[in-house]
Amino acid sequence: MLEPIVRFFAPKPLSVLPYYVVGAVLFSILVIIVLINLPSRARKPLIAIVTFLAGLFYATEFFWPIDIATNKNFLTDYLVPASKLGSLLGGMTLTLGILSLLRVHGRNIARLRSGWYNSLALLTAMVAMVIFGLIDKYGTDATAKKVFNVLFEGMLINMDATMFSLIAFYIVSASYRAFRIRSIEATILMVTAFLVMLGQVPIGNALTDWLPKDGWIASLRVENVKQWILSQVNAAALRAIAFGLGVGGLAISLRIWLSLERGAYFEKEI
Amino acid sequence: MQHAFEKLAPVLIVEVLTAIIIIWRIISAQRGKELFIRRIPGLNAIDEAIGRATEMGRPVLMVPGIGGFSIIALQALSIFSYIARSTAKFGNRILMPVADPTVYTVAEEVIRDAYQAEGHPERFDPDSIRFLSDRQFAFASGVAGLIQREKIASSFMFGEFFAESLIFAETGNMVGAIQVAGTVHTTQIPFFIAACDYTIIGDEYYAASAYISRNPTMLGSLVGQDFGKLLITVLFVVGTVAATVAALNVPTLGEAGKSFIDLFTIR
Repeated sequence: MLEPIVRFFAPKPLSVLPYYVVGAVLFSILVIIVLINLPSRARKPLIAIVTFLAGLFYATEFFWPIDIATNKNFLTDYLVPASKLGSLLGGMTLTLGILSLLRVHGRNIARLRSGWYNSLALLTAMVAMVIFGLIDKYGTDATAKKVFNVLFEGMLINMDATMFSLIAFYIVSASYRAFRIRSIEATILMVTAFLVMLGQVPIGNALTDWLPKDGWIASLRVENVKQWILSQVNAAALRAIAFGLGVGGLAISLRIWLSLERGAYFEKEI
Repeated sequence: MQHAFEKLAPVLIVEVLTAIIIIWRIISAQRGKELFIRRIPGLNAIDEAIGRATEMGRPVLMVPGIGGFSIIALQALSIFSYIARSTAKFGNRILMPVADPTVYTVAEEVIRDAYQAEGHPERFDPDSIRFLSDRQFAFASGVAGLIQREKIASSFMFGEFFAESLIFAETGNMVGAIQVAGTVHTTQIPFFIAACDYTIIGDEYYAASAYISRNPTMLGSLVGQDFGKLLITVLFVVGTVAATVAALNVPTLGEAGKSFIDLFTIR
């Protein structure tokens, strides 16, 4: 029944792709015109119906009995086209994101605000990455490909790694503050962290190496204390938090699916 | 692909029953039943942090994380909408760097609406909501730069955070900002606890909109959540007893214990 939809969303050869793109743009414009001209009182019910149907699709796919051999039911094949619709919406909003960048930084340059040269560097880098990225993907020019390689592998990846490496220093300063003994909680935290760190390094294990490896006394060996803290105390607390989050996620999903959500954008006139 | 029929009992008992309980509590709350919710210090601190920014005349930063548009982002925007209403009232400057273009478009609408709702649409600056980059560390460096340059007074971080969480929190700490954070990613919670003044932990994150709005529907859902957690706790206790009697091979009860454990084991 839904086979034509799956075929429609399947990858298309390059020769027919422009027609699909033009068709999609025209269809989107049509949808926007219809939505704008829709009476105000009809918009909310429309959003509620679309949200409910979308949620119903995923819920039915999850709960409907499956064919054990293929691990699928009659809706499983349509999951990919459904997720592509979400990606399409995300792709459209990227344009708005880029417009925001151009607006903020373009104004900085035009008015020569303090640090305007940073904005210029950002916009230049953005345009350069787009141009050389496209040439690298679709073009044949060897020099342009090399430039893209320098921009991406030589600069962007390394700058990412630099930012990532900053975390190591921040961990030191954050843990220094967290472990300062100011209260009973901080003391427990400090002692626990100290034991876990000792259990992770050979010198820590060596401290209790003289204790027997069997019997109840073995539980006092540093590596066993560390393991007990991680698997019994830490894992239990994390699981409790995860269960709470799961139930919370279920509640908010239900509210949105059934259009029961209130506050912020859910109550405004549209 | 995961399906309910791979293990029907846990899905039906935990998921469907919890959903029914939540809907039941929402309906009773809508009928006017009085509900109690406990105090959440992190959410009470929001007003204190905005007040501090007002006194100092410095901006308020709101970061919705680097995740895409999901229930986590929706919840974050719901909290930010409340914050924006307060900043609109007091005339604080806000900064909201965004990493996901979809979240950016919705965030702009939400914050604009908050200013309109407070009767100060002229105070809304479209440039305060900025799309920076969808690359994790490019976004992190952008936000860290904003914090340093603008010397923010208060920082609110709600949403999906990964390794960049500590970069934001520590940079905020360096400029002396009062910081309130909450995320669903348990791996990042210790970083926020270490570097922020207040941290929303676990399902408090999903309780935020109900706590702030005090809307009966939301409060009903919150109480339903607690009933769901109670159900899971009961299952934990019964499961512990079942596993113990099964391990000890207690006559008759041992078999029942094994059957119970089998019912909930996903292989």
